Amino acid sequence: MENESIVFHGNLQQLLAKVETGEMIPKLQASHAPMCKFFTAYYVISGIRHVVPLVHGPTGCPLYMSDFVRTRECCEMRGVPLEPTACTTLDESHIIYGGEGKLLEAVKEAYAKYHPDLIVILSCCCSGIIGDDVESIAREAEKQVGCRVLALRSEGFGGDFRSGYEDAFKLIMELMDPPQKKMKGTINILGARWGPSPTEFNWDMDEIERLLSEIGIKVNAIIAGGCTVEQIRHAREVELNASWCYDWGQKLGDLMQEKFGVPYSRTGQPYGPEATKEWLLGVAKPLGMEEKALEVIEREMKEVEPDLAYLRQALAGKTAIIEISEFPGPIRALSLARMAKEFGARPVVINVHPYTIKERMPSIKYILETGLNPEIILTKGLFRLGSFRSSKETEDELEAIVRMYDNVIFFGNSGRFPPCPVVNLTLMNPAFQPQYGFKGIRNIAALVRQALENKDLPRSRLFRGMLYGTGKR
Amino acid sequence: MGPENGEEPAGRRVPSPESCTDPYLRCAFNGAAQTALGVLGCALLAHSPQGCEYLVNNAFASQECDYMETVTLCTKLCVDEIVHGGEDILARTIREAKDLPISALFVISACGPEIVGDDIVAVCETLQPEVKFRLIPIPSPGFRGSQYDGIDIALDTILKRLAKKRGEKIPGSVCLIAPHANANPTWPADLTWVKQTLSRMGIPVIATLTHKTPLSEIENIASAETSLLLSHDAGQKAADYLFAAYGIEQICKGIPLPIGMTNTQRWLAALGERFGAQKTAEGMVAEGEKMVMATCRRKMPMARFLYRTPAAIVADATVGIPLVRFVTEEMEMTPELVALYTSQRTVRELLDKELKDLGLNPKVVYGTDVYKTRAGLREVRPKVIFGSTIERHASEGLPVAYVVEVVRIMRQFRMINREYFGYTGILNLFECVQNEWTMAWRSKEKRYEAKW
Repeated sequence: MENESIVFHGNLQQLLAKVETGEMIPKLQASHAPMCKFFTAYYVISGIRHVVPLVHGPTGCPLYMSDFVRTRECCEMRGVPLEPTACTTLDESHIIYGGEGKLLEAVKEAYAKYHPDLIVILSCCCSGIIGDDVESIAREAEKQVGCRVLALRSEGFGGDFRSGYEDAFKLIMELMDPPQKKMKGTINILGARWGPSPTEFNWDMDEIERLLSEIGIKVNAIIAGGCTVEQIRHAREVELNASWCYDWGQKLGDLMQEKFGVPYSRTGQPYGPEATKEWLLGVAKPLGMEEKALEVIEREMKEVEPDLAYLRQALAGKTAIIEISEFPGPIRALSLARMAKEFGARPVVINVHPYTIKERMPSIKYILETGLNPEIILTKGLFRLGSFRSSKETEDELEAIVRMYDNVIFFGNSGRFPPCPVVNLTLMNPAFQPQYGFKGIRNIAALVRQALENKDLPRSRLFRGMLYGTGKR
Repeated sequence: MGPENGEEPAGRRVPSPESCTDPYLRCAFNGAAQTALGVLGCALLAHSPQGCEYLVNNAFASQECDYMETVTLCTKLCVDEIVHGGEDILARTIREAKDLPISALFVISACGPEIVGDDIVAVCETLQPEVKFRLIPIPSPGFRGSQYDGIDIALDTILKRLAKKRGEKIPGSVCLIAPHANANPTWPADLTWVKQTLSRMGIPVIATLTHKTPLSEIENIASAETSLLLSHDAGQKAADYLFAAYGIEQICKGIPLPIGMTNTQRWLAALGERFGAQKTAEGMVAEGEKMVMATCRRKMPMARFLYRTPAAIVADATVGIPLVRFVTEEMEMTPELVALYTSQRTVRELLDKELKDLGLNPKVVYGTDVYKTRAGLREVRPKVIFGSTIERHASEGLPVAYVVEVVRIMRQFRMINREYFGYTGILNLFECVQNEWTMAWRSKEKRYEAKW
């Protein structure tokens, strides 16, 4: 059963233990470089409408945001108007003499130019190291302009990518006013990024909103996926906070519960019928809308019953090898493992990087508490120098692992060429989105059907050669 | 209308007087990465926090590197390294990379390690005996300036560290400088056109600084007789250095790059004259112009209907300055706004000369940012913009009929690289206008439903 490329084979609990003791933290410094704290903080802040994210640093830091997040993701793909990506453009003289004076002027200038509802100063490596006091400047500047001015210490070296999200969500809490009333049957959805439009995958959020609306639940704000400062101000007036992904909402949800007493519904990603039911009831029950939710669930389940029957029949007795190499992270892989198990398959998750387990420790622990503890395999290729995506070594290892099992189906994306049916769960093909909720069940059933019915069709020599070279067929 | 900013010294990019800008240009670290990744058979190690790796990825894509051939590494600096210094982790990472099959490892440092004083030059000198490849440190923190400053910094280091002190001159030869400082998203096609042109004229290329350039080319650069700068935005310092250090004469200096018929004719004529290949140059011009006219006769570009339509040009100087003449002469539109990303004196002088020569008096913005561009568009209210996807969105609410995306394109994808230089370049630009014209005319909704 073992092969020499496997460096870990056990379950999630055992992997977590190795990560916690430091045994499984990648030794190679150069492998696996996700975004820095600054990037992720920026993502969250830019999800508020009419905000000026004012980057206190040189021009390199905001440019990725300007090109990729603002122009492509927001303006081109999500119908968001062009919003500013402002920068103080620090140079050598500011590094030597400090940039606080320029920052104060920049805030005033940003207000005059853009008339925003909010200005958030984001420090980066330079301003952090030279010790510019961004918080004091924010307080001083706020007296001189007509909107709130907040500061966020988001130096790229200052934490892992997750800390940027969390610190930004925490900062947003400063905008929340004491509640004047309770908004009956209303929730906030927490943890959205890549705004100012709902979260990174609109289709999934659309499905969640559709189901909530069927039950009669209203959404005050998606924080921070295109919400307004006004909605954030009223965020404490809702009855409940929820998130489409336990992991992303967790920090803000816990903090709002602890500080403001707003309960937070702890549920995982709604992949498959059980997780979807759990998600909806997790929101509806505390609002006293369980009965209506059950009605909706029953109706929706009836509609997808043929798909559910197909998935049960198609997956029963199979080994589902699950790999998420696109937007890699363990949570989606684990949600898929849960769904595969529900349909009668034996899930085996491969190559979730220990770094990502470390970054999501609280969520992983919660998932274990819910009873999900799938088999995990990590291979040598995961720890090589450079990027582990599109790596020939991990492809070869995946193929070898698939050969170790009988009756295998692969849940991943079409960039892999294992000798078994491939369920293409890429998030880059809108034709089969959403994957969440009841519409998601239909799409996943369609993807499984494609995989099984077309398993004998030839795979693309062209794409394989493109990804992994022509050394091996 | 005159230019918006004051006089600035040659070769130096003076920062914008504004405190709050919305910049078009990336930082020096990105420019240095772009330059280093243009050297073949090498790897790049970013001594930086992990976010800066994204600037390396962008440079990697711009230089069309292949991840099966080029490895990029990052020291992923965290608080510990900022507080206690990151030299140890840099040394460790170099040691981890010691088995890579490369001829050189470029070590580029970002803002953090430079401020805390990591001496990447000393670390590389210490580690050099332990590794088989050459270690080339390039201190290039983002705060040293824009991506163009980074290109100049990296070219300076590369030339001083890698070029041999002397080499036998190869008569009539040339080296090409800064082809990558060009906002055409598929600029390698411009470089290919230049190389094909030189080849037809019998002019050998000694080295390209940099794009898929073997180290040996850089080592032998002293053999070049002349240099040809392929950017108006960066590389002039390298050309000056090559002249001072090796007597390499810069040619085609002070004339716009070959975009459009007149610019191409002028540029080819200058080359022909310098290398005694006037006849070949004239032949290329005649053949090229005939091909363009014949193609246009068959395809009928819709640009001909835009006679004297007020236009804006928002781009780098490399594409933007030559476009002024192309848009005015060949397309017969009237540039009323020219907003360039850079502002050094050489850029100003070249644009001024072109505007005077053409008898144009547009609003000119040097060192523009997104805010200044939008303000300029509001003021001038052009009907056509030659620019990027950003201007498409920045012009929302204004009566702009066409936004022709020629730089930093996000809306359309190009699988095949397309040049703007030379005669096929003219057709490629006409094609951009044509597609935008078609999209502007496309029905946004159906008036009624069909019966079937």
